[in-house]
Amino acid sequence: MIIVIGAGPAGLAAAEAASRNGSDIALIDSSPRVGGQYWRNRGTVKGYRSGRADQLFSKISSAKSITHISEATVWSIEKEGDLFRVNYLQGGEESSLTAEKLILATGAYDRSLPFPGWDKPGSMTPGAAQAMLKGSGVLVGKRVVVAGTGPFLLPVATGLAESGAEIVGLYEANSPIRWLLSLHALLLNPGKFAELFYYGNLLKRFKISLKFNRAVSSFADGSATVSHINSHFMVKSQREKIVHTDVVAVGWGFLPDLTLGGIVGCAQRVDSDGTTIFAVDGEQRSSVENVWIAGEATGIGGADLSLIEGEIAGLSASSQSISPSKRFTRIRKEIFANALKRSYPIGDGWQSWPQESTTICRCEEVTMHEIRESVTELGAEDSRTAKLFTRAGMGLCQGRVCSRNVSEIVGGLTHCSVTDGERIASSNRPIASPISLGLLGDGKK
Amino acid sequence: MQNPDAIVIGAGIVGASVALSLTNAGFKVLVIDRGAVSSGTTGAGEGNILVSDKDPGPELTLALRSRDLWFEMQEDVGDAFELEAKGGVVVARNDDGPLMKLSSEQSLHGVTIQKLDHASLHELEPYLDQRYQSGVFYPQDAQCQPMLAAAHVIRAVVRRGGAFISQAKVTKIHVREGAVTGIETSQGSFSAPIIVNATGTWAGELAQMAGSHLPIAPRKGFILVTEPTKKYVFHKVYDSDYVANVASSDADLQTSTVVEGTRAGTILIGASRERVGFDGSMNYEILRRLAAQATSLFPILRDVQLLRAYRGFRPYAPDHLPVIGEDATVKGLWHSAGHEGAGIGLAPGSAALITDAILGREQFMDPSPFSPQRFLSMGIEKVLS
Amino acid sequence: MTERITFTFNDKEFTCESGQSIAAALIAADNRELRKTRFGNEPRSIFCGIGICFDCVVEIDGVANQRSCLVEAKQGMKVVSAT
Repeated sequence: MIIVIGAGPAGLAAAEAASRNGSDIALIDSSPRVGGQYWRNRGTVKGYRSGRADQLFSKISSAKSITHISEATVWSIEKEGDLFRVNYLQGGEESSLTAEKLILATGAYDRSLPFPGWDKPGSMTPGAAQAMLKGSGVLVGKRVVVAGTGPFLLPVATGLAESGAEIVGLYEANSPIRWLLSLHALLLNPGKFAELFYYGNLLKRFKISLKFNRAVSSFADGSATVSHINSHFMVKSQREKIVHTDVVAVGWGFLPDLTLGGIVGCAQRVDSDGTTIFAVDGEQRSSVENVWIAGEATGIGGADLSLIEGEIAGLSASSQSISPSKRFTRIRKEIFANALKRSYPIGDGWQSWPQESTTICRCEEVTMHEIRESVTELGAEDSRTAKLFTRAGMGLCQGRVCSRNVSEIVGGLTHCSVTDGERIASSNRPIASPISLGLLGDGKK
Repeated sequence: MQNPDAIVIGAGIVGASVALSLTNAGFKVLVIDRGAVSSGTTGAGEGNILVSDKDPGPELTLALRSRDLWFEMQEDVGDAFELEAKGGVVVARNDDGPLMKLSSEQSLHGVTIQKLDHASLHELEPYLDQRYQSGVFYPQDAQCQPMLAAAHVIRAVVRRGGAFISQAKVTKIHVREGAVTGIETSQGSFSAPIIVNATGTWAGELAQMAGSHLPIAPRKGFILVTEPTKKYVFHKVYDSDYVANVASSDADLQTSTVVEGTRAGTILIGASRERVGFDGSMNYEILRRLAAQATSLFPILRDVQLLRAYRGFRPYAPDHLPVIGEDATVKGLWHSAGHEGAGIGLAPGSAALITDAILGREQFMDPSPFSPQRFLSMGIEKVLS
Repeated sequence: MTERITFTFNDKEFTCESGQSIAAALIAADNRELRKTRFGNEPRSIFCGIGICFDCVVEIDGVANQRSCLVEAKQGMKVVSAT
C-alpha cells in the first residue's frame, strides 16, 4: 500500500497517477473534501482553470483502489521494520495506518513578515482571506487592502472583488521589471501569458489598480500606512499614504510545511530563496527509502509544478514508467518556479519595519526589543538560543510563523548570514499536530 | 584575551558558574564554547534545583549548599532567570514506606520536609488523583530558567573583566611536564595555567585530548511540553519511583513521572532515562508512557494537548556522582562535569569547590567522593562499556 | 437549502450556515475579536485562516485552544474566548 498525505494538487495528482495500475492507495487529508488550500473545495472550485481540479476530483472519487481518509490530521509517523506507521487524529480519536511507501504532499502556507499592527484583528494573510471566502463563503471585510509580493495576490484580490469586496489597494512590493531577468522562463511557459491576461481583465473589470514597490508599513484602527519601498524593501520615509480599510491581507510568498518529512528523517536543503525544502531526485524520491515528496515541500512553485511533481511521484512509487515528456514538463515548470523566486524576492529591509514594541512571535508575544536584547545582552547567536532566551517560536504554532523571521532578525543583528544548518534545524517538530495527553497515553478519549 | 588566568571550556550553567566564582575570586577568566551559550545539556534542561531526589550522602550535602548558592548568585548578578523556590511534592501511590523512610533520613541531614496526609496533600495539589494517599513536601526544591541563568552569569563574567568566545571548538590541549599550558581552538590559541573542563557530555572527549580519561557518557531523556493551560500543577510533583530510577544504572529505558507547571503556562512532563549514546531520534512509545504516567497523577491533564517534545543528553559517570576536582594525572586541568540530571542544581556548589581548591581555601565539604581520581582504579574498558 | 446553525460565543447567540467555520461565522456577524492574549491582553482574530498560526484559538465545549478557523460550527456549540 501507498499512503499519500495531503490532498492538494500534488497529493491528488500522486494518488491518481499511482492508481492507474491499480495500486492500493490511502489518501489522508485534514479537510472534509479534497482540493487542499489552493483548490479549496466547497462543492465547486472557482478561479483560473478550475476545470483541471474538477477532472482530478472525479478521477479520484471513481478510482476503486483509492481510499480517501478525510478530516484526519497526522500527528506522527513511526518506522516499524520496513513499514511506516502513520498516526492520525480523526473525530477526537487516534488511528493509525501502515504502508510500505509514503508520498508526502503537505503543501505550504503564507509567509508573514512583522510590521507594526500585523497582530491586530483585521490584519491577516491573503490565504486567510481566501480561505474564509472559498471555505465558508464569508468576506473578511468590506474594504480590503491586498499587499505583499507574488502572483498569488492577484487571485486573492480579484476573488474578493468578485464576491463584492472593495479592493482599496493592491500593492506589490517588487518591480515588474524583475521579470526581464527571466524572459526565457516566460517563453518556455507561454500558458502564463494567458493567465496574466485573465487576471489583467479581472483587475480592469473591478477597477483595481495594481501598484508596485509599495508595502503596508503599519496598520491600526481601520487605517493602513502604505509606504514606497526600494528594491531591498527599505522604506522611503518621505513617501507614504494612509488608506482606510477594514482588512490588510499581506503575504510574502509561501513557506512549505516540512514537519512530516522531518519526522521521517528526509534530508533537507536550502533553496535559492532561503526556504528550507526537501532534497529529492528526478522521480521525487527523498533521501529516505520508500518516501516520495511532491509539491511545495520540494521547492515553492505553485499548482502547475505541484501537479507534475505529484504525477511523477505517484508513477514512481507505483513502479510505472515516467515518459520523457513528463520529465521535461517538470523541468519547464521548475524553470518558471525559479523565475518566480527571482521576480519576487524578499529584501532584508523588512527587518527595519518593526518598532521595538512590535510583536515578532505572535504566540508568546515576544517583541522586537526582546529579540534584540537576547542578541546584544545575552549573546544569542542563532534562532535556537534566541528562542531559549525569549520563548519566540515556543508557542502553539511551534514557530511556523516566526522562526524564519527570528533567524533572519538575529542574523541581521549579529551581521552573520543564517547558516543552512540553522534553517534546517528550526523545522524539527516531532509532534506534527497537538494531541491530548489522554489519547496519547492510553488511546482513550 | 590571549593570556587569561584561567580558561573555562563550556558555556552551560556548570561552566558559567565556575567562571563567575573564579572571576569573583580575582581571576581573569576566558570562557569558550563550541556553540553558543547554553547550547548543550543546559539548553535542554528543566531548571531543576532539587534536594528531594537525593539520598543522604555527599551529593545531598553538595545539593543543599548549591541550592543556597543559587540564591546568592541571583543577588550577585541580578534577578533575571526566574529563580523560584516553588517546592517539590513527592507522592506515593501504593506503599509509602520507602518514601517516608527516605524523607526522615533526609531531614536528619538538613533537608526541610513536611509529611503530608491525604487532606494536606490534596490541599497543596488539588488536581492530583484522589487515589494518592500521602506524600512529602520539600519546600527547598527550586527551579530556574537555566538558559537565561547561564547567559546572565556569563554576561556578569564579561562585565567583570572576563571574556567569552563562542563557536570555538577545542582542537588541542597543550600539556608540558604533566601540567596544562594552554589550548588551541578553531578561534585561536590561548595560554593559561588553569583549564576547567565543563563540557558536560563531551567531558570524556576533552579529557582524552589532554591525555587523561574521564568515564562520562550520555543518558538520553525526553521532556514533553503541553499547550498553555490554566494552573493545574502548583509544585514540582513526582512519583517516588523517580528517585530509584535516577540512581539506577540500568541501560534500558526507564520512565517515571515528573510533572510541573511553568511561568509560561505550559506543563512540563519528564522524565525518561536511557543509555543509547548520542542517538537523538524520537521514540513515540516513550512519549506515550510519559503521557500515561502524567495523566495517572493528574487526570485533568487528559484533555490537555501535547505541543512539543524534546530530548537532551545528561552527562553521567558510572557511579552517578559528578566529577569535580583536579585531573588525576594532568595538573592544572580541572573538571566539573558528569552531573547527570542535576547539573543545574549542583552547578554553583561545584564551582565553589573548584575555586576554593584552586585558592587553597577551606571547602564547605570534603570533595573526595567527587574526585576524578576515583576512576584510576577502574579499568577504562569497564567504564566505557 | 443549507441548514441554519445556532451556537453561542461568549454567551451571545450567533447563527450561520452549516459547513461554515466558527471564525468565518463570527466574522460574518462582524465579530472580529476572537480572544485576548495571555500576557498583553491584546485582541486577536484570524490570521492564517488555515490552521497554521493558532491565533484564532477559542474554547469549544470546554476544550481549550481549538482553532476556530478549522472547526465547523455545530448546533448548540458553546464557544468562549480563551482566558
